[in-house]
Amino acid sequence: MTVRPDERLLDGHPMLPVRCRTCGAGVQARKASWQQTSVQWSAEAVRTCRERRASVPGEGPNGGVFPACEALHASITQAALDGELPVPDDPGPGPPGTTDP
Amino acid sequence: MTAAETERDGVRAIEAGAVPARFARGWHCLGLSDRFKDGRPHTVTAFGAKLVVFRSGDGRLNVLDAYCRHMGGDLSRGTVKGDEIACPFHDWRWGGDGRCKKIPYARRVPLRARTSAWTTMDQDGMLFVWNDPEGNPPPPGVTIPRIAGATRDDWTDWVWHETLVAANCREVMDNVVDMAHFFYVHYSFPTYFKNVFEGHVATQIMKGLSRPDARPPAKEGRPGMLGNTSVAAYHGPSFMIDDLTYHYEGMDIDCVLINCHYPVDANSFMLQSGIIVQRNERLGGAGAEEMAVRLGDFILKGFEQDVEIWKNKARIDNPLLCEEDGPVYQLRRWYEQFYVDAADVTPEMVERFEFELDTTRPVEAWQKEVEENLARRAAARSSARDSAGGGTA
Repeated sequence: MTVRPDERLLDGHPMLPVRCRTCGAGVQARKASWQQTSVQWSAEAVRTCRERRASVPGEGPNGGVFPACEALHASITQAALDGELPVPDDPGPGPPGTTDP
Repeated sequence: MTAAETERDGVRAIEAGAVPARFARGWHCLGLSDRFKDGRPHTVTAFGAKLVVFRSGDGRLNVLDAYCRHMGGDLSRGTVKGDEIACPFHDWRWGGDGRCKKIPYARRVPLRARTSAWTTMDQDGMLFVWNDPEGNPPPPGVTIPRIAGATRDDWTDWVWHETLVAANCREVMDNVVDMAHFFYVHYSFPTYFKNVFEGHVATQIMKGLSRPDARPPAKEGRPGMLGNTSVAAYHGPSFMIDDLTYHYEGMDIDCVLINCHYPVDANSFMLQSGIIVQRNERLGGAGAEEMAVRLGDFILKGFEQDVEIWKNKARIDNPLLCEEDGPVYQLRRWYEQFYVDAADVTPEMVERFEFELDTTRPVEAWQKEVEENLARRAAARSSARDSAGGGTA
């Protein structure tokens, strides 16, 4: 089977480059709304990520899974707030820290 | 319908290529290992072949192609003799390494007397086989994590079920990213949903609420179920470990749920579930065992709900997605790594990808639906009461 592209990236916004404001790791990110986030890492970004390098495996059989980098998440949110990462207009809840009209 | 027609009339066509001709590279669980340890050969149909599973005299579990390379006898109908499986046809003896060790009536074993053997692993009560169409051993780091509760006294034994499903096993994989089906097919209520794919591991992190419209009210004196928190990860193409906590009023119940399968052939797979439950003071006595049995039945019901969909649905390579759907294409891109030669695995198949779903709109819609279902149920109950009252008056 050939791997097909996600049409949502063609019909809506594509993935765009975002750099972590803490460690400089470069990823591709996309927000379909303020609450939705897609992040495509590269092997280099994983190597660069400071939180990732400092993380220790958690408990349990899935403890080896690294759930998220807080600093990167904050950088993506900031990129969205700064308008570098477009977020489609919709009547859903706004960006974090704002009050709904 | 051709693609050209699709463009002309705007009708979306369902596209589906042939099911893969090979079976995934990776560890596959064949079930609880104890059932293979009775000193007799067992027949398992997997990876498009008939296999024999047997414990040799040295205590090891072995998996070989069941057909004897001599005259095609079925080794899984044979007898374990010492460290070897003896063919019922002419008593040729095959070792766990796949080599013919002895032919009692012959002076010498001929050249090329070797059959397919699968690398096995007996871990935490389960038998695993390594399948690799290229014949390589498992690379370092490609492992199944240990499950501490499986060997601890403060956890129950495994409650295990298996179900043969007449579909290609890709169908079960899509569930990793399919948040909405948990509401519509399994009557659960996801409120948080995130996927992380990295290397050979695909993870689903989900939090959910109990559905008051889909379960009877809690019995008097029994704590009501509030919801659950689940971190479920596929370690390779077929073995998912779900670290699952059910939240009840006043207590949590910790479980480990296994959701795994092995392909029988290109068009069917054996779907298996296993569950262990941690004992706690509130569960007391045999409470944890009862809970494990109840949850096992609940998971089995979930499988039946999935199977009902799978056996009637179309295979679809081009699902049409809304933004509230999960990363189906990225999951399939991850899954593809197990179907190509190791040298052909591309970075995009294994590089880390995260997808956090916006559950705002789904939660709004589902809250409304649950309320409507509850109102309908209340109305039906009160009208039943009225008519019962009318009958006796």
